[in-house]
Amino acid sequence: MSTSNQSTDAPDEPRTSGVYVYGIVPADVEAEEDAVGVCDGPVSTVKHGDIAALVSEISVDRPLGKPEDLRTHAHVLDGTSRVAPVLPLRFGAVMTDEDAVAEELLAAHAEEFAAALEELEGRAQYVVKGRYVEEAILREIIEENEQASKLLGTIRDQPEETTRDARMALGEIVGNAIEAKRDEDTRKVVEALDSLSDSVNVREPTHEEEAAQVAVLVEVARQEELEKAVGELAEQWDGRVDMRLLGPLAAYDFVVTQKPEG
Amino acid sequence: MTAIQPAGGGGGGVSGGPSSSSLADVIDTILDKGLVIDAYVRVSLVGIELLTIDARVVVASVDTYLRFAEAVNRLEIGSGEPKGLTDLVGDVTEGGAKSKTKGALESAGEKLGDILGGGQEEPERERVSRKSTRGDK
Repeated sequence: MSTSNQSTDAPDEPRTSGVYVYGIVPADVEAEEDAVGVCDGPVSTVKHGDIAALVSEISVDRPLGKPEDLRTHAHVLDGTSRVAPVLPLRFGAVMTDEDAVAEELLAAHAEEFAAALEELEGRAQYVVKGRYVEEAILREIIEENEQASKLLGTIRDQPEETTRDARMALGEIVGNAIEAKRDEDTRKVVEALDSLSDSVNVREPTHEEEAAQVAVLVEVARQEELEKAVGELAEQWDGRVDMRLLGPLAAYDFVVTQKPEG
Repeated sequence: MTAIQPAGGGGGGVSGGPSSSSLADVIDTILDKGLVIDAYVRVSLVGIELLTIDARVVVASVDTYLRFAEAVNRLEIGSGEPKGLTDLVGDVTEGGAKSKTKGALESAGEKLGDILGGGQEEPERERVSRKSTRGDK
Protein backbone atom coordinates (compact mmCIF):
# COMPACT_ATOMS: atom_id res chain seq x y z
CA MET A 1 0.00 0.00 0.00
CA SER A 2 1.14 3.47 -0.64
CA THR A 3 -0.26 4.88 2.54
CA SER A 4 2.88 4.49 4.59
CA ASN A 5 4.69 7.38 6.17
CA GLN A 6 5.88 10.05 3.89
CA SER A 7 9.51 9.30 3.21
CA THR A 8 11.67 11.71 5.10
CA ASP A 9 14.62 12.05 2.83
CA ALA A 10 17.24 12.64 5.44
CA PRO A 11 20.36 12.85 3.35
CA ASP A 12 22.76 12.38 6.21
CA GLU A 13 21.21 9.18 7.46
CA PRO A 14 22.12 6.17 5.34
CA ARG A 15 19.15 4.10 4.31
CA THR A 16 19.15 0.53 5.53
CA SER A 17 16.13 -0.91 3.82
CA GLY A 18 14.65 -0.75 0.37
CA VAL A 19 11.83 -2.25 -1.65
CA TYR A 20 12.78 -4.95 -4.10
CA VAL A 21 10.53 -4.98 -7.17
CA TYR A 22 9.88 -8.23 -9.07
CA GLY A 23 7.41 -7.17 -11.67
CA ILE A 24 4.16 -5.50 -12.61
CA VAL A 25 0.82 -7.32 -12.40
CA PRO A 26 -2.89 -6.52 -12.60
CA ALA A 27 -4.18 -5.10 -9.30
CA ASP A 28 -6.32 -8.17 -8.60
CA VAL A 29 -3.24 -10.31 -8.05
CA GLU A 30 -2.50 -11.13 -4.42
CA ALA A 31 0.68 -12.60 -3.00
CA GLU A 32 0.31 -15.87 -1.13
CA GLU A 33 0.69 -15.38 2.59
CA ASP A 34 3.73 -17.62 2.78
CA ALA A 35 5.41 -16.33 -0.36
CA VAL A 36 8.98 -15.50 0.54
CA GLY A 37 11.06 -13.08 -1.46
CA VAL A 38 14.67 -12.13 -1.83
CA CYS A 39 16.19 -11.66 1.65
CA ASP A 40 13.38 -13.76 3.15
CA GLY A 41 10.97 -10.84 3.28
CA PRO A 42 7.31 -11.64 2.62
CA VAL A 43 6.13 -10.84 -0.90
CA SER A 44 3.35 -8.28 -1.11
CA THR A 45 1.85 -5.92 -3.64
CA VAL A 46 1.85 -2.17 -4.02
CA LYS A 47 -1.26 -1.05 -5.90
CA HIS A 48 -2.06 1.84 -8.09
CA GLY A 49 -5.41 1.79 -9.88
CA ASP A 50 -5.62 -1.28 -12.08
CA ILE A 51 -2.01 -2.28 -11.73
CA ALA A 52 0.27 -3.37 -8.94
CA ALA A 53 3.91 -4.18 -8.31
CA LEU A 54 5.10 -7.40 -6.69
CA VAL A 55 7.55 -6.34 -4.01
CA SER A 56 9.31 -7.37 -0.83
CA GLU A 57 11.33 -5.43 1.66
CA ILE A 58 15.07 -5.97 1.67
CA SER A 59 17.96 -4.74 3.64
CA VAL A 60 20.32 -2.81 1.42
CA ASP A 61 23.48 -3.48 3.36
CA ARG A 62 23.55 -7.04 2.12
CA PRO A 63 24.78 -7.55 -1.45
CA LEU A 64 22.33 -9.19 -3.80
CA GLY A 65 23.16 -11.86 -6.31
CA LYS A 66 23.49 -15.14 -4.47
CA PRO A 67 22.05 -18.19 -6.21
CA GLU A 68 19.03 -18.15 -3.88
CA ASP A 69 18.40 -14.51 -4.76
CA LEU A 70 18.38 -15.28 -8.47
CA ARG A 71 16.14 -18.30 -8.00
CA THR A 72 13.76 -16.44 -5.75
CA HIS A 73 13.38 -13.64 -8.26
CA ALA A 74 12.59 -16.17 -10.98
CA HIS A 75 10.28 -18.25 -8.79
CA VAL A 76 8.16 -15.31 -7.71
CA LEU A 77 7.73 -14.20 -11.31
CA ASP A 78 7.34 -17.61 -12.92
CA GLY A 79 4.85 -18.72 -10.29
CA THR A 80 2.86 -15.59 -11.03
CA SER A 81 2.97 -16.16 -14.78
CA ARG A 82 0.86 -19.28 -14.35
CA VAL A 83 -2.06 -17.39 -12.88
CA ALA A 84 -1.77 -13.88 -14.22
CA PRO A 85 0.07 -11.77 -16.75
CA VAL A 86 3.24 -10.27 -15.33
CA LEU A 87 5.81 -7.82 -16.65
CA PRO A 88 9.11 -8.98 -15.18
CA LEU A 89 11.76 -6.54 -14.11
CA ARG A 90 15.36 -7.39 -14.67
CA PHE A 91 17.00 -8.87 -11.58
CA GLY A 92 18.13 -6.36 -9.00
CA ALA A 93 15.63 -3.51 -9.10
CA VAL A 94 15.33 -1.80 -5.74
CA MET A 95 13.44 1.36 -4.90
CA THR A 96 13.60 3.48 -1.81
CA ASP A 97 10.15 2.73 -0.41
CA GLU A 98 6.61 1.74 -1.34
CA ASP A 99 5.63 5.31 -2.08
CA ALA A 100 8.34 5.49 -4.66
CA VAL A 101 7.06 2.28 -6.23
CA ALA A 102 3.50 3.61 -6.35
CA GLU A 103 4.34 7.06 -7.58
CA GLU A 104 7.50 6.89 -9.62
CA LEU A 105 7.05 3.45 -11.13
CA LEU A 106 3.33 2.65 -11.28
CA ALA A 107 1.62 6.03 -11.51
CA ALA A 108 4.17 7.40 -13.92
CA HIS A 109 3.70 4.54 -16.40
CA ALA A 110 0.23 3.29 -15.58
CA GLU A 111 -1.06 3.35 -19.12
CA GLU A 112 1.73 1.53 -20.84
CA PHE A 113 1.95 -1.08 -18.11
CA ALA A 114 -1.79 -1.67 -18.25
CA ALA A 115 -1.69 -1.97 -22.02
CA ALA A 116 1.22 -4.42 -21.91
CA LEU A 117 -0.55 -6.53 -19.28
CA GLU A 118 -3.66 -6.57 -21.39
CA GLU A 119 -1.62 -7.89 -24.28
CA LEU A 120 -0.05 -10.59 -22.14
CA GLU A 121 -3.33 -11.79 -20.67
CA GLY A 122 -3.54 -15.56 -20.95
CA ARG A 123 -0.05 -15.95 -22.32
CA ALA A 124 3.30 -16.87 -20.83
CA GLN A 125 6.83 -17.41 -22.00
CA TYR A 126 8.32 -20.81 -22.60
CA VAL A 127 11.92 -21.59 -23.43
CA VAL A 128 12.95 -24.50 -25.62
CA LYS A 129 16.51 -25.61 -25.06
CA GLY A 130 18.42 -28.27 -26.92
CA ARG A 131 21.88 -29.55 -26.08
CA TYR A 132 23.80 -31.86 -28.36
CA VAL A 133 24.74 -35.26 -27.03
CA GLU A 134 28.46 -34.92 -27.44
CA GLU A 135 29.33 -38.39 -28.63
CA ALA A 136 26.50 -38.50 -31.13
CA ILE A 137 27.20 -35.13 -32.65
CA LEU A 138 30.92 -35.77 -32.92
CA ARG A 139 30.27 -39.05 -34.70
CA GLU A 140 27.94 -37.29 -37.07
CA ILE A 141 30.58 -34.69 -37.87
CA ILE A 142 33.34 -37.22 -38.40
CA GLU A 143 31.11 -39.24 -40.70
CA GLU A 144 30.11 -36.21 -42.73
CA ASN A 145 33.48 -34.54 -42.96
CA GLU A 146 36.25 -36.36 -44.72
CA GLN A 147 38.91 -33.96 -43.62
CA ALA A 148 37.89 -34.39 -40.02
CA SER A 149 38.06 -38.14 -40.23
CA LYS A 150 41.50 -37.92 -41.83
CA LEU A 151 42.68 -35.72 -39.02
CA LEU A 152 41.26 -38.15 -36.53
CA GLY A 153 43.42 -40.81 -38.16
CA THR A 154 46.42 -38.59 -37.65
CA ILE A 155 45.94 -38.07 -33.95
CA ARG A 156 44.71 -41.55 -33.10
CA ASP A 157 47.03 -43.20 -30.63
CA GLN A 158 49.56 -40.42 -30.99
CA PRO A 159 50.82 -38.37 -28.09
CA GLU A 160 49.25 -34.96 -27.75
CA GLU A 161 52.55 -33.11 -27.97
CA THR A 162 53.36 -34.36 -31.45
CA THR A 163 49.91 -33.86 -32.94
CA ARG A 164 49.02 -30.45 -31.69
CA ASP A 165 48.52 -28.88 -35.11
CA ALA A 166 46.30 -31.70 -36.27
CA ARG A 167 44.31 -31.48 -33.07
CA MET A 168 43.84 -27.77 -33.51
CA ALA A 169 42.69 -28.24 -37.08
CA LEU A 170 40.31 -31.02 -36.12
CA GLY A 171 38.92 -29.03 -33.23
CA GLU A 172 38.29 -26.06 -35.45
CA ILE A 173 36.43 -28.17 -37.98
CA VAL A 174 34.30 -29.60 -35.19
CA GLY A 175 33.60 -26.15 -33.77
CA ASN A 176 32.54 -24.79 -37.14
CA ALA A 177 30.44 -27.85 -37.89
CA ILE A 178 28.58 -27.53 -34.61
CA GLU A 179 27.89 -23.90 -35.34
CA ALA A 180 26.41 -24.79 -38.72
CA LYS A 181 24.31 -27.56 -37.20
CA ARG A 182 23.10 -25.22 -34.47
CA ASP A 183 21.88 -22.74 -37.08
CA GLU A 184 20.06 -25.45 -38.94
CA ASP A 185 18.54 -27.09 -35.85
CA THR A 186 17.51 -23.75 -34.38
CA ARG A 187 15.70 -23.06 -37.62
CA LYS A 188 13.86 -26.37 -37.23
CA VAL A 189 12.85 -25.53 -33.67
CA VAL A 190 11.49 -22.16 -34.76
CA GLU A 191 9.61 -23.85 -37.58
CA ALA A 192 8.07 -26.36 -35.17
CA LEU A 193 6.82 -23.51 -32.97
CA ASP A 194 5.53 -21.47 -35.83
CA SER A 195 1.88 -22.43 -35.54
CA LEU A 196 1.83 -21.80 -31.78
CA SER A 197 3.18 -18.33 -31.56
CA ASP A 198 4.08 -15.29 -33.54
CA SER A 199 6.35 -14.04 -30.78
CA VAL A 200 9.61 -15.93 -31.00
CA ASN A 201 13.00 -14.89 -29.74
CA VAL A 202 16.05 -16.87 -30.82
CA ARG A 203 18.56 -16.48 -28.02
CA GLU A 204 22.29 -16.37 -28.40
CA PRO A 205 23.85 -19.71 -27.51
CA THR A 206 25.26 -19.94 -24.01
CA HIS A 207 27.03 -23.24 -24.36
CA GLU A 208 29.38 -24.51 -27.04
CA GLU A 209 27.35 -27.65 -27.62
CA GLU A 210 23.99 -25.95 -27.59
CA ALA A 211 21.66 -27.02 -30.39
CA ALA A 212 19.02 -24.34 -29.88
CA GLN A 213 17.70 -21.86 -27.36
CA VAL A 214 14.42 -20.29 -28.32
CA ALA A 215 11.92 -18.31 -26.23
CA VAL A 216 8.28 -18.18 -27.27
CA LEU A 217 5.19 -16.43 -26.01
CA VAL A 218 2.34 -18.96 -25.99
CA GLU A 219 -1.17 -19.06 -24.61
CA VAL A 220 -1.02 -21.00 -21.37
CA ALA A 221 -4.08 -22.90 -22.55
CA ARG A 222 -2.02 -24.26 -25.46
CA GLN A 223 0.80 -25.60 -23.32
CA GLU A 224 -0.13 -29.16 -24.20
CA GLU A 225 0.22 -28.44 -27.90
CA LEU A 226 3.57 -26.88 -27.21
CA GLU A 227 4.69 -29.92 -25.25
CA LYS A 228 3.60 -32.09 -28.13
CA ALA A 229 5.50 -30.04 -30.70
CA VAL A 230 8.67 -30.09 -28.62
CA GLY A 231 8.12 -33.74 -27.80
CA GLU A 232 8.05 -34.59 -31.49
CA LEU A 233 11.36 -32.87 -32.03
CA ALA A 234 12.79 -34.63 -29.00
CA GLU A 235 11.70 -37.95 -30.43
CA GLN A 236 13.10 -37.17 -33.83
CA TRP A 237 16.41 -36.16 -32.27
CA ASP A 238 16.45 -38.85 -29.60
CA GLY A 239 20.03 -39.66 -28.65
CA ARG A 240 21.34 -36.71 -30.64
CA VAL A 241 19.89 -33.67 -28.88
CA ASP A 242 18.60 -33.45 -25.31
CA MET A 243 15.55 -31.26 -25.50
CA ARG A 244 14.04 -29.38 -22.58
CA LEU A 245 11.02 -27.18 -22.27
CA LEU A 246 10.96 -24.58 -19.52
CA GLY A 247 7.82 -22.78 -18.54
CA PRO A 248 5.47 -21.20 -18.00
CA LEU A 249 7.80 -18.33 -17.23
CA ALA A 250 7.32 -14.59 -17.01
CA ALA A 251 7.77 -12.93 -20.39
CA TYR A 252 11.36 -11.85 -19.83
CA ASP A 253 12.27 -11.98 -23.51
CA PHE A 254 9.25 -10.01 -24.67
CA VAL A 255 9.09 -6.98 -22.46
CA VAL A 256 10.92 -4.00 -23.76
CA THR A 257 11.86 -0.90 -21.88
CA GLN A 258 11.14 2.13 -23.92
CA LYS A 259 13.52 4.99 -23.67
CA PRO A 260 12.10 7.81 -21.63
CA GLU A 261 11.05 10.69 -23.79
CA GLY A 262 13.16 13.76 -24.05
CA MET B 1 14.71 -41.02 -23.57
CA THR B 2 14.43 -37.33 -23.56
CA ALA B 3 12.34 -35.80 -20.85
CA ILE B 4 10.23 -32.78 -21.53
CA GLN B 5 9.66 -31.11 -18.25
CA PRO B 6 7.82 -27.88 -17.94
CA ALA B 7 9.51 -25.88 -15.26
CA GLY B 8 6.19 -24.98 -13.80
CA GLY B 9 5.86 -28.39 -12.20
CA GLY B 10 2.73 -29.22 -10.33
CA GLY B 11 1.58 -31.84 -12.78
CA GLY B 12 0.30 -31.71 -16.30
CA GLY B 13 3.71 -32.19 -17.80
CA VAL B 14 4.83 -34.80 -20.26
CA SER B 15 5.89 -37.75 -18.12
CA GLY B 16 8.38 -37.23 -15.39
CA GLY B 17 7.84 -35.39 -12.18
CA PRO B 18 7.90 -31.74 -11.41
CA SER B 19 10.98 -29.90 -12.51
CA SER B 20 12.38 -26.47 -12.27
CA SER B 21 14.82 -24.30 -14.08
CA SER B 22 18.43 -24.91 -13.17
CA LEU B 23 20.50 -22.03 -11.92
CA ALA B 24 22.06 -21.77 -15.37
CA ASP B 25 18.59 -21.50 -16.91
CA VAL B 26 17.70 -18.75 -14.47
CA ILE B 27 20.88 -16.85 -15.20
CA ASP B 28 20.29 -17.14 -18.93
CA THR B 29 17.00 -15.41 -18.36
CA ILE B 30 16.84 -12.89 -15.57
CA LEU B 31 20.14 -11.07 -15.67
CA ASP B 32 19.93 -9.43 -19.04
CA LYS B 33 16.24 -9.61 -19.87
CA GLY B 34 13.19 -7.94 -18.41
CA LEU B 35 12.22 -4.35 -17.85
CA VAL B 36 14.99 -2.11 -16.73
CA ILE B 37 13.68 -0.03 -13.95
CA ASP B 38 16.28 2.69 -13.96
CA ALA B 39 15.21 3.79 -17.38
CA TYR B 40 12.01 4.81 -15.66
CA VAL B 41 13.00 6.06 -12.30
CA ARG B 42 15.97 6.65 -10.14
CA VAL B 43 16.74 3.46 -8.35
CA SER B 44 19.76 1.76 -7.10
CA LEU B 45 21.09 -1.56 -8.15
CA VAL B 46 22.26 -2.96 -4.92
CA GLY B 47 25.67 -4.52 -4.95
CA ILE B 48 25.31 -6.53 -8.10
CA GLU B 49 28.29 -7.20 -10.25
CA LEU B 50 26.64 -6.57 -13.58
CA LEU B 51 30.00 -7.05 -15.21
CA THR B 52 29.57 -10.78 -14.93
CA ILE B 53 26.88 -10.71 -17.58
CA ASP B 54 29.25 -9.55 -20.25
CA ALA B 55 31.32 -12.63 -19.70
CA ARG B 56 28.61 -14.76 -21.27
CA VAL B 57 30.26 -15.23 -24.61
CA VAL B 58 33.77 -16.36 -24.13
CA VAL B 59 36.12 -16.18 -27.02
CA ALA B 60 37.68 -19.55 -26.73
CA SER B 61 39.87 -21.16 -29.28
CA VAL B 62 42.84 -23.25 -28.48
CA ASP B 63 41.36 -24.84 -25.41
CA THR B 64 38.01 -25.49 -26.99
CA TYR B 65 39.53 -26.92 -30.13
CA LEU B 66 41.87 -29.16 -28.22
CA ARG B 67 39.00 -30.33 -26.08
CA PHE B 68 36.90 -31.15 -29.12
CA ALA B 69 39.83 -32.99 -30.68
CA GLU B 70 40.37 -35.04 -27.57
CA ALA B 71 36.66 -35.86 -27.39
CA VAL B 72 36.77 -37.04 -30.99
CA ASN B 73 39.90 -39.00 -30.26
CA ARG B 74 38.09 -40.89 -27.52
CA LEU B 75 35.28 -41.96 -29.82
CA GLU B 76 35.14 -45.61 -30.67
CA ILE B 77 35.03 -45.56 -34.40
CA GLY B 78 34.36 -49.05 -35.61
CA SER B 79 35.19 -49.16 -39.29
CA GLY B 80 37.36 -47.08 -41.51
CA GLU B 81 41.10 -47.46 -41.54
CA PRO B 82 43.14 -44.61 -40.29
CA LYS B 83 44.90 -42.94 -43.12
CA GLY B 84 48.67 -42.75 -43.29
CA LEU B 85 50.37 -39.65 -42.10
CA THR B 86 51.69 -38.77 -45.53
CA ASP B 87 48.23 -38.07 -46.88
CA LEU B 88 47.70 -35.40 -44.39
CA VAL B 89 50.66 -33.14 -44.25
CA GLY B 90 48.99 -30.52 -46.41
CA ASP B 91 45.88 -30.40 -44.33
CA VAL B 92 47.74 -30.30 -41.11
CA THR B 93 49.86 -27.33 -41.99
CA GLU B 94 46.95 -25.49 -43.41
CA GLY B 95 44.84 -26.18 -40.37
CA GLY B 96 47.58 -25.22 -38.00
CA ALA B 97 48.24 -21.99 -39.78
CA LYS B 98 44.72 -20.73 -39.62
CA SER B 99 43.98 -21.56 -36.06
CA LYS B 100 42.57 -18.18 -35.42
CA THR B 101 40.30 -17.45 -32.55
CA LYS B 102 36.74 -18.01 -33.41
CA GLY B 103 33.51 -17.52 -31.63
CA ALA B 104 33.42 -20.57 -29.53
CA LEU B 105 31.09 -20.32 -26.65
CA GLU B 106 31.10 -21.18 -23.11
CA SER B 107 28.35 -21.12 -20.63
CA ALA B 108 28.92 -18.21 -18.35
CA GLY B 109 25.80 -19.30 -16.60
CA GLU B 110 27.18 -22.64 -15.66
CA LYS B 111 30.48 -21.16 -14.71
CA LEU B 112 28.82 -18.63 -12.51
CA GLY B 113 26.81 -21.46 -11.07
CA ASP B 114 29.99 -23.27 -10.17
CA ILE B 115 31.49 -20.23 -8.61
CA LEU B 116 28.41 -19.52 -6.62
CA GLY B 117 28.21 -23.14 -5.63
CA GLY B 118 24.78 -23.63 -7.13
CA GLY B 119 23.05 -26.02 -4.84
CA GLN B 120 20.06 -28.23 -5.25
CA GLU B 121 16.88 -27.00 -6.76
CA GLU B 122 14.07 -26.16 -4.45
CA PRO B 123 10.65 -27.24 -5.57
CA GLU B 124 8.76 -24.64 -7.45
CA ARG B 125 5.54 -23.38 -6.02
CA GLU B 126 3.16 -20.66 -6.67
CA ARG B 127 3.94 -17.48 -4.88
CA VAL B 128 0.87 -15.56 -5.72
CA SER B 129 -2.72 -16.21 -6.46
CA ARG B 130 -5.23 -14.24 -8.33
CA LYS B 131 -8.35 -13.12 -6.62
CA SER B 132 -10.39 -12.80 -9.71
CA THR B 133 -10.14 -12.83 -13.40
CA ARG B 134 -10.07 -9.52 -15.04
CA GLY B 135 -13.06 -7.46 -15.75
CA ASP B 136 -15.10 -7.86 -12.59
CA LYS B 137 -13.87 -4.95 -10.62
